Amino acid sequence: MSNLAQPPAEVSQRFSLRLRKDGLLPRILLAISLSLAVAAVLILLAQKNPLDAFAAMLAGAFGSPHQIGVALNRTSPYLFAGAGLALCFRAGIINMGSDGQIAMGGIGATATILAWPGTPGAVAAIAALIAAALAGALWAGLATAIHLSRRVHEVLATLLLNFVALLLVQFLLSSALSQPGAGFLQSPLMPRSVWLPRIPAFDFHIGIILAIIVAAFVSFLLWKTSFGFGVRVAGRSRPAAAYAGFSIAAITWQLMLGAGAMAGLGGGVEILGLQHRLIEGFSNGFGFKAVTVALLGALEPALTIPAALFIGFLETGALSMQRQIGVPSSLVTVIEAATILFILAATVRRT
Amino acid sequence: MAALLEMRGMVKVYGALRANDGIDLDVFAGEIVGLLGENGSGKSTLMKVLFGMVEADGGGIVFRGRELSGHRPGEAMAVGIAMIHQHFMLVEAMTVLENIMLGWPEAGKLLKRQVIAEKIREASRRLGLDLDPETRVADLPLGRRQRVEILKAVLRNAELLILDEPTSNLAPAEVRDLLVVLKRLRSEGKGIIFITHKMPEVIEACDKVVVLRAGKVSGKAVVSGADKAQLAEMMVGRDVTTPYVMKAPEKGAARIGMRQLAAKSIGPLDLDVRGGEILAIAGVDGNGQLELAETLAGLRRADAGTITLDARDITHATPANRTKAGLAYMPADRSMTALVKSMTIMENLMLRDIQRPPYSLRGLLTMGFARRRAEALMSQFDIRAASPLTKAGSLSGGNQQKIVIARELARQPAVLVAHQPTWGLDPGATRFVLERIIALRDAGSAVIYISSELEEVLAIGDRVAVLAGGRLAGLVTRNEVDMPQIGLWMSERAA
Repeated sequence: MSNLAQPPAEVSQRFSLRLRKDGLLPRILLAISLSLAVAAVLILLAQKNPLDAFAAMLAGAFGSPHQIGVALNRTSPYLFAGAGLALCFRAGIINMGSDGQIAMGGIGATATILAWPGTPGAVAAIAALIAAALAGALWAGLATAIHLSRRVHEVLATLLLNFVALLLVQFLLSSALSQPGAGFLQSPLMPRSVWLPRIPAFDFHIGIILAIIVAAFVSFLLWKTSFGFGVRVAGRSRPAAAYAGFSIAAITWQLMLGAGAMAGLGGGVEILGLQHRLIEGFSNGFGFKAVTVALLGALEPALTIPAALFIGFLETGALSMQRQIGVPSSLVTVIEAATILFILAATVRRT
Repeated sequence: MAALLEMRGMVKVYGALRANDGIDLDVFAGEIVGLLGENGSGKSTLMKVLFGMVEADGGGIVFRGRELSGHRPGEAMAVGIAMIHQHFMLVEAMTVLENIMLGWPEAGKLLKRQVIAEKIREASRRLGLDLDPETRVADLPLGRRQRVEILKAVLRNAELLILDEPTSNLAPAEVRDLLVVLKRLRSEGKGIIFITHKMPEVIEACDKVVVLRAGKVSGKAVVSGADKAQLAEMMVGRDVTTPYVMKAPEKGAARIGMRQLAAKSIGPLDLDVRGGEILAIAGVDGNGQLELAETLAGLRRADAGTITLDARDITHATPANRTKAGLAYMPADRSMTALVKSMTIMENLMLRDIQRPPYSLRGLLTMGFARRRAEALMSQFDIRAASPLTKAGSLSGGNQQKIVIARELARQPAVLVAHQPTWGLDPGATRFVLERIIALRDAGSAVIYISSELEEVLAIGDRVAVLAGGRLAGLVTRNEVDMPQIGLWMSERAA
């Protein structure tokens, strides 16, 4: 066959992103300048001084050990869920259910702590994290069962279960897990003994450390094991993966349960490390931040670490700017989104 | 008379590779020039340069007395060069008329449907294309779609048509019709460059041939004075037409057997292949070949009956377990199934063995072993690439298929199922693949060789079967082959 007329690129390749390696630094710098320019225009439109705003943003993200700690806490659920999604997307499994899986993780952790009061702190915290992972996996498993047995597209199955999970949080907070008389939909505060340990001075909890360990493990799984090889083949061509002796259904189950467990852990860590109680809407939008982390990390589990950190620090800085300068919160969201878009364009390309 | 096209000393360099290294090519009006050469000999590059898809690094092109350089495909088309690609560039949901009007200024801003439709009818009659402007392209067989492309070129006043392996997707009858159309175009004074690997077509249609090898012109001949063997030898520089040695049917036990095997659109089939035997299965494409191959490989479910391999029942075994049991499979679909083009040669060489030691130990990849193994296989199977880490998709078709054959044969399988293993390969690579398969047979394996190229089936099969309508229409040893009988079997349809 002459290569004048190769058939179009591999059609079953559903998701194919790679890091652009050539001239990465200049392009990142350009992306940052462009996003600063866009932000400056928007801030001017809101009749504030862009330089003051940027200074506030920088101080908000990096200004003090405490602010850095805040950003790291913000990062950890994104990283847990995002690293799992990177693996799913690699295999062409479009899991859009992190939001619900994170929420389920929060439920699992809270229910465990409230169910066995008086259990020694460390034991209870570990049991709660395990329960969070199981709850997240359960939710992902439900979507997988629907997807594989009833042939419902995985985007639909995962996406729609998000709403169910969020409503389940509301329901449980007004029944079994509620704090009577609180006036808000929230659970009772957890005893201090089960809170995740914090790093002194910076005051961030160990969630981010766990998340980095998990992301590194996922990277190892992808590149150094035969399972990971199957994932990489499946993402490029389903027929080739079947021919190579991998079962697409088995890969789908393993990745979905794994990603669900990771998202659930993200939810559990958020509750035990930061909120210390289940609150309605505690995970609002986390799932879609996780998708951004996976894409910004070019579907490379190791690269989801800097990607999640970038988003965590960006958000923390932007929120702080909003408080200090008094710009509308919608404006902050637009600036965040524009920045992520510029960085994505500069660093990731389709293959 | 001046040539329609003159290409002089064309040079195109890709990195260390001189894809075109000083090629001269002349095409006169009213002439069909066969452009031959192995995969990777530089034909495609030369045509891409001519059509303006890539820019030459040296040499000059004169077309109808005008210098062409630094041009783009749009300009090439405007001066009268048309390229008919192997994969047609048609919008299937649109009619012939709409496809022809698409992007054609002469169709006018307010589409002149009637005028253009009349032009299509007139040209179609004149050239014997038998095309109705109001038919949807999706409803046309492949041979007709190709004619739409040809018609498009002719209506846009192309004086030179480049046809890139135009016959590789066509049924034999369609090939004959195409050659008739090409001869009509020749009599209207068009120049045609005809890229092909198939000798009978060259002898039938071409006036002269130009053979490329390693980026240079290795031979030129006027067709009426050359014979098939000469042309083939010119192309690969060695003899590729010596017949293969046949073996008398073995007496031993069957290595692979099917009993009442049925799956979607095939069966019931009863068939045994012994060690040391090649069973070649002929038939018109779409008569259950793919289904049979995939059912044997475990990629499709068998609805009834059994498959045994060395007396073990593998009817419901997974593809991985079949591989372990000694079944090798070369799928017809090279680009999506047999290979992952965006992965490296090394990864492709271990694609089907990765889940077993020594390629992986307790689930962990052993990359050092894989690298050494890949290097060994690359030299053993003559896979030409810079390194085992080269992407498989960047290799020529022949080298890609060598990866597949290296991977499948290196396991020394008990049984090989090969489906169209030489499709699209040049004579040299075809010879290589067939010789390896014969060597496997001689080592005692059973081979099921499925191909729609009758000539090849007859050349390699120790026994020849015909698949029609998903059933075996007939089965004979090679020396009992009776061509009219085979033809009848091929046209049979299961009730």
